[in-house]
Amino acid sequence: MGAFASGLTRTAQRFGGVVLIALLGAAAVFFALRAGQGDPALAALGDQATPEAVAAFRARWRLDDPLALQFGRWLAGAATGDFGASMVIASGEPIAQLIASRLPNTLFIGAYALALAISISLTAGVVAALRHGRFVDGAATSAAVLGISMPDFWLSYVLIYALALGLGLFPSYGFTAPSASFAGALYSGFLPALAIAAPMAAAFTRMLRTALLETLHRDHVRVARSLGHGERFVFVHHVFRNALIPYVTVIGLQVRYLLGGTVVVERIFGVNGLGSLMVDAAFARDYPLVQACALVFLVCVLIVNFAVDLVCAQLDPRRA
Amino acid sequence: MRGRLAAALANKLALFGGLITSLVALGVLAGPWLSPYSPTDADFLALLAPPSPAHPLGTDSFGRDVLTRILYGARVSFAVSVSGVLAAALIGTAAGLGAAWLGGLWSAIVMRVCDLLFSFPSFVLALFMMVVLGYGVANIAVAIALIYIPIFARLSRNMALLVRDEPYVQAAILIGQPTRSILMREILPNIAAPLFVQIALGVAFGIVIEAGLSFLGMGVQPPAPSLGAIMADGREYFSRAPWVLTLTGLAVSLALLGLNLLSDGIRDVMDPKLRAKL
Repeated sequence: MGAFASGLTRTAQRFGGVVLIALLGAAAVFFALRAGQGDPALAALGDQATPEAVAAFRARWRLDDPLALQFGRWLAGAATGDFGASMVIASGEPIAQLIASRLPNTLFIGAYALALAISISLTAGVVAALRHGRFVDGAATSAAVLGISMPDFWLSYVLIYALALGLGLFPSYGFTAPSASFAGALYSGFLPALAIAAPMAAAFTRMLRTALLETLHRDHVRVARSLGHGERFVFVHHVFRNALIPYVTVIGLQVRYLLGGTVVVERIFGVNGLGSLMVDAAFARDYPLVQACALVFLVCVLIVNFAVDLVCAQLDPRRA
Repeated sequence: MRGRLAAALANKLALFGGLITSLVALGVLAGPWLSPYSPTDADFLALLAPPSPAHPLGTDSFGRDVLTRILYGARVSFAVSVSGVLAAALIGTAAGLGAAWLGGLWSAIVMRVCDLLFSFPSFVLALFMMVVLGYGVANIAVAIALIYIPIFARLSRNMALLVRDEPYVQAAILIGQPTRSILMREILPNIAAPLFVQIALGVAFGIVIEAGLSFLGMGVQPPAPSLGAIMADGREYFSRAPWVLTLTGLAVSLALLGLNLLSDGIRDVMDPKLRAKL
């Protein structure tokens, strides 16, 4: 009971930390954009805008209020899911609506890529560790080094060239939203997900292989073997379970690269996601939209890392 | 030190990585003297020519030699990435050492800022900085630095906390050696190895960030070449002349491969315990 209560307290503390970072992030994003060189009025109206038009624009968006007041208003709105309205791209349309239509696609591609990376790396990492020093190990290790050396946007074009234009197996452009057709999303999202997943899978494989090899030589594993447990039992219960902790930790660390990777890859494959929305917003200098996208991306990473923390605490009671 | 050098030479991967990195570095440094062509002048008699003896990697839509553009572009990409990562290493290590040594409020502030920077998806942070600072090469270096500062700060803080309890550091504290001298002469040399590994990895990732931003059109502006800008050009006529994009990407991969193998090698050499096990 006491352990359970202290576990709850620690979880609450961690959650408090997450909220703190989210608040800091909101402030950083807001004030960095205000301190930046751009003028939202000129960005929306063009450089030739008359002073009257600029003044009207600033009045409409209440840009002349004190910064602290603007920030408070924006933060209060953001906390309830109201990010205000887009200034340029979809002038006047609620940003929350834009994000709600785009975020599921990005989460789908991200989760798809993560699932691919995990299934590839679990197989390759375990096989490489069990056949340590043999040909399979060498092949997996070399493939992994090559994998982490391939930028995802370049890999996207290699995949398009080979699998879409060459063999005609997959569409080279366009994405069916999972809400419209889940099977269609799995099919049309395969290449973008694979382009993001390949470097991840390589990094995960390297981590898993190293962790497994390290654990194989630990004392508790020797003891388990000497007690007469079968190799398979020892591997599953003593080696694999322990190696999972660094593996899951690395997955948590890589999420920020994974979500970052969606930005360019979404654009290449024409996925209507949060990443491509943010690129459009950046080009149009739609400041409130850029601000909202950055914050939503941040919160996504925070949520995943929070979940990874909880999983690690489950796997390793010492860290709970 | 001699033992380490011998170990590095004996480590085939490190050697291979070092070799690739040296070749790439040579190409980057000597690029302008290696090629007879100009990276920006158009040649309308050789538009989109496939690879041939005169143009080993073909030409682009302005008839410019792709190999020449890669050699010049790599200079820009490396300069941006190296300066960003070195700035991050300097600032991050200083902040991390300060956090380890001073503790308390300073440590709390540094670590929260790191948590924050570390929680942005890396490319999203870079994209965001392009909106705040404007497009351009120097600003990409700033974005790369911001991505890498938390990594260096955390690493140097954690390593310094480990090293602080070693007898030689405790001895230096007891004999009253000035703090600056303890940090520079006792701590820093002993945490340098993982920092170097991180620098090599950081330069590799910095090149990817530069290439990604220039690929979107927010980095190096045409006609100046950078690895990402050349690939962005190549995308326009990808189906007619796939060599421009694919071969430039291959050059990027080669540079990354060299840096990754090199950092693996440094890690192995610096951590003999791990090497013996694997």
